[in-house]
Order: sequence, then C-alpha cells, then structure tokens
Amino acid sequence: MEESKEQILVKHLLKKEEAAWKELFGAYSGNLAYVCSRYVAEKEDVHDVLQNSFIKMFRSIESFEYRGSGSLKAWMTRITVNESLKHIKQKGDFKSAVEVDDLPDIPNEEEPDFEEIPRDNIMMMIRSLPEGYRTVFNLYVFEKKSHKEIAGLLGIAENSSASQFHRAKGLLVQKIKEFKMSKKAQYE
Amino acid sequence: MNNEWLNNLRSRMDDHEEDVPEGLWDGIKDELFAGEENNSIPGFIPEIHEGGADKKEKGASGGQKSLFYRLGGIAAAIALLFLLTKILPQNDTGRTLSQKPADVKTEDEKNSLKSIENEQGSSKEVKPKTEAFLADNILNIDSSEKITAQRYAESRAENQAENHQKIQDIFKLPTASESFQQESRIAQKVPSVDDTVKESAKEQTSDEVLFKEEKLKEIYAENTKRNTPKSRDKKSWMLSMLTGNVASNSAEQQFPGYASITGKAMNVEQVFTTSEHHDDPLTAILLANQSQPVEARIRHKVPVTFGLSLYYNLGKKWGIGTGLNYTKLASELHSGTENNYIKGDQTVHYIGIPVQVNYNVIQKGRFTGYITGGALLEKPVSGSVTTTYVVNDEIKESSKERLDHKPLQFSVNTAVGFQLKVIDKVGIYAEPGIGYHFKEENAPNTIYKEKPFHFNMKFGIRVLLD
Repeated sequence: MEESKEQILVKHLLKKEEAAWKELFGAYSGNLAYVCSRYVAEKEDVHDVLQNSFIKMFRSIESFEYRGSGSLKAWMTRITVNESLKHIKQKGDFKSAVEVDDLPDIPNEEEPDFEEIPRDNIMMMIRSLPEGYRTVFNLYVFEKKSHKEIAGLLGIAENSSASQFHRAKGLLVQKIKEFKMSKKAQYE
Repeated sequence: MNNEWLNNLRSRMDDHEEDVPEGLWDGIKDELFAGEENNSIPGFIPEIHEGGADKKEKGASGGQKSLFYRLGGIAAAIALLFLLTKILPQNDTGRTLSQKPADVKTEDEKNSLKSIENEQGSSKEVKPKTEAFLADNILNIDSSEKITAQRYAESRAENQAENHQKIQDIFKLPTASESFQQESRIAQKVPSVDDTVKESAKEQTSDEVLFKEEKLKEIYAENTKRNTPKSRDKKSWMLSMLTGNVASNSAEQQFPGYASITGKAMNVEQVFTTSEHHDDPLTAILLANQSQPVEARIRHKVPVTFGLSLYYNLGKKWGIGTGLNYTKLASELHSGTENNYIKGDQTVHYIGIPVQVNYNVIQKGRFTGYITGGALLEKPVSGSVTTTYVVNDEIKESSKERLDHKPLQFSVNTAVGFQLKVIDKVGIYAEPGIGYHFKEENAPNTIYKEKPFHFNMKFGIRVLLD
C-alpha cells in the first residue's frame, strides 16, 4: 500500500526534522489559527496558545496514530482545542462568564440561513459571543462534543452546558438576522 | 432535530483559515530547534569568539597607540583647513621656487645641509623655508643621500647604529625622513602642500591635497610604530566638514508683563528694588508704560553650527564617527511696549563633541542613503547678555554681562542622510533629522531649553581617506 503524503510527512516529523515541521506549520497554521481564535479572543493569546500547541505536537508526535486521510489535521486540532481550553481556564475568568445567567431566553424556531454570509463575518459573530457561551458552542458544534463531555471538560453541570449552548445559539441566530438586515439596508 | 444548520455551519467553516500571528514560526523554531543547533556545532562558536577576542585585544592596544596620532591628525586637519585658505597664494610662489632648482643638481650638498639645519632649528623665515623645499626635492629625487638619511636615522633611537641593517635602512629611511620632513613642515605651518603636489606631479584640488596630507601623516604614524598591523590599510576613514541649522526654525516665547532673558517673569519686589533710584532706566520704562499693556517676547534665533568630523567605516554597512562642533545660539528679549522696553541680546557659543553611528541602507552608484544616530555633548565656552533699556525709542542705558551658569548640554539625535559622490573620494551630503536636548535647569534660556525636541538639517562635504 502506497503511503500518502500525510504519512510521509509524519515520518519526517518523527525524525524531528526542522524542514518537516516547517512544512507542517505552513500547511496547517492558518486553519489552527482559526480553531484557536474561535476560543481565544486576544490576538496575543492566540499566538501564545498556538505556539504552545505546536510545541506540544512536537513533543507528542510519537503518540499520533495515522487513521486515514485527515487524521493528522484532526489530531492537531484536538491539541489546539485542548491548549485553548487550558488557556481559558488559566485566565480564571472563565467560570464567572459561564455562570452569567442574566440573558433572557431567545426563542428560536426558524433555522437561520447563513449561506450568503462570508465566513469572515460568521467568524466575527462567533468571536463576539460571550466567552462562556462561545466555548460551549464551539465544543458542541465544531468539536461535536456532547453536553456531558463539555460538562466534564469545563467542570460545569451538564444542564448548564445545555442552557449555555441554547443561548449561544439564540444569540448567533440574532446576529445573523441583524447582519442580513444591515446588508439589506445597505442595498436599499 | 432542528440543529441541522449547525452541522452546515461546521462543514462550511471546516477549512476556514485565519491569519497566523506574526512571528509565530520564529517563536516555535527558537523553542524547538535552537537547542539542537547549539549541540551540532560545539567548539566551533567558541573558536570564533576566541579569534574575535584576540583581534579586539590587538586592535585595542594598537588603537591606544594610534589614538594619539589620530587626534593629532584631526587637529592637523583642522589647522590645515584654516591654513589652506590663508596660504594658498604663498603656495604658488613656493612651488615655482622649488621647481626650478629641482633640475639643477649641483647645489645638492649645500642645500641638504641647510635643510637639516632648518628642520632642526625650525626657523620660520621665508628664505630658509624655500631652501628646505629645495632640499626635500633633492632628497626625494636623489636616494643616494646617505648622509642625510643617516642623520635622520640617528635622530631616531630604533634606527641607531645598526650597520648590518644598512640596506634595509636605506630602503626605509627615505620614507622615514620624508615623513619627518612632513612633520617638521607641518610644525612650521609651511605649505608642505606644494611638495605633495610636486610629488604626484599633477594639479590637484585642495580637498585632495588635504586628503594626501592626512595619508602621509598616517605613514608617519606607521613608521614610528614600526610594526603597524597591515589590516589598517584596508580600513577607510572619512573626513567631513558640515554646517547646518540645529533647528529648522526659530522659537518664540511670549508672556504678559515684564520678563528677563532667563524667561522668568520679574516679580514686584525686583521691580521695586531696582526702581529706588529715580533716574533708573527701568523705572523710566515702568513709568512710561504705566497705563499700557506690556508683554515680553523672547525670540530664539536659528542656531548656526559648523563642524568637522572624522568617520571610520566598520565594514561595508556600519561606521562610527566623532569630531568637533561649534554652535552659536542667539536669543532676543523684548520686554515692554513698542516704544519703551528692555532689550536683551544673549549669545552662547558651544563647542561640542559628537559621537555618531552610521548605517548605510542603500548604495547605488554615486548615491548613498544612510541612517545615523548619536549623541552630542556640548560645552558652552562663552556666553554673554547685553541688556539695553529703551525709553521712547531712545537707548537710556546698555550693559553687558557674562553668563556664569554654563552646564554641559547633552543631546541625542537621529537622521536620515543622503550622500552624493561628486568626484572620487569627495562627496556632499544632506542630513535631515530630529534631535532632543536634555533639559538642564541651570542652563541659559536658549532654544535648546525652549524647544528640546527639534528638526534639523545638516549638510557638508565628506572626504574619504583610505
């Protein structure tokens, strides 16, 4: 069976060759920067978290198991998410942000249509969510974690995770609507 | 489940990318690969360091020795600059005189003897001087003047009585004696210039003569040291003359009421004590202005700077330089009304020593662009204030006093420079820049104090000495 490019790269990564790691960085850093900035708001923090993530990858590349195309990316993303969560917890203001309960429930029955919204704008909307909401939302939607897992990861109650997620979703729907309205207003 | 849109959202955003923070890879590389690099070349780096240290030590010891000569060179260059303008006509006569007898070789003995007398006695009359030139010329042409050479040799301790080295001496001494003559001629402040002109047998511009002069002195320095490192030849020196205004415009201070040149408002007590005598001019001014609004204006004139500096190139890009600057700061005070006022004129002369570091950014043909930064320490060498009391447009009294508080003035500056090579080794340059003068409370009230931060423009000539 022929080795894929990914596997060849991993071989060189295991030898800790600088050129291989540079290639890895060049290929994935943009996507990982996106993953990281979903969780971490400050640009400088994103830099630090990404740096720590890459260092962690370097030190634990031996533990990586190839399970088909895309598994390297998934592995890297997992490490980056973990590092991001670590950073959020270290910052300390995470818990309080999560426990904020003063936002009213936003009823949302309709499914928002975001196909026309540029990805940069979607990103901005996600990033503008309050940190606690955002973390839960990210984990649930993008990392496909269950509320039980999220509760375990963040050290919060399971139903708390669910309600956080529910509100985050509501806020996002609202933001998408607002964005569309403003777009409409621009054209009129 | 109504969360289908969230799945869409995920897949849509799946391969999204954000800007990678700047310098991230460098940080990772430093963290992960810096250590390995160190391991890969152990023993190599220390070697370099050792070599570097050695060189530095040599350079330092050599530098200390040659510092004296360098300073001498700078001083001589300044002196020559002034002399060149003064003795240029004299040069021409000297040249014609010295050129004629150069063809006639019969008077060899007599002239050379006289020249020795002349140089040792360092007579300052015109006639022996001319004869000295004759001797020089003959010396230069006729290398068989062993007697003369020997005498010079005797005057130098190192060369004394080394018969087995005679051949070597014969080769070396002409240069030694030449530089000796060079030296004595400088001491006499005689236009040795025309000798250099003659030697090269062409007409040269005064700048180039200056350059040559400097070079010969370098040779002299090398001769005295005897074992100057060869690498010195490769280093290049630059001599530059500059002028410029330190600040691009003058500054004006204005306040209501009376004020002195120091910028401080006169208080009532001061006014009353000085107005005890009835015929006091100040009282007259105060009386005349009784019912009029008065104000004080202090205008700092544009500073004028002249300087001479010497640059030393460290490699292709970097250079350091020092020199001597002269700056004149003048300020005017007008305190009172249009017709009745106190007029003050303050002049402060500064002598400063700059230390500059240059970095050549771009070099294209004749054009060089560079950035420069440095510090300047200035000492006010003299300062005076002339106070004039004017009542009804008439000068009542005028007095002059010297400034006593003259602390050192420290400033830093940076500039962007443009240099254009006019002819070989001579370039003109312009340096627009900014500077900051650190405030000194006791210092006289000058533009440095009023506008510590300023823009300036310098321009000048640079001569490359190599």
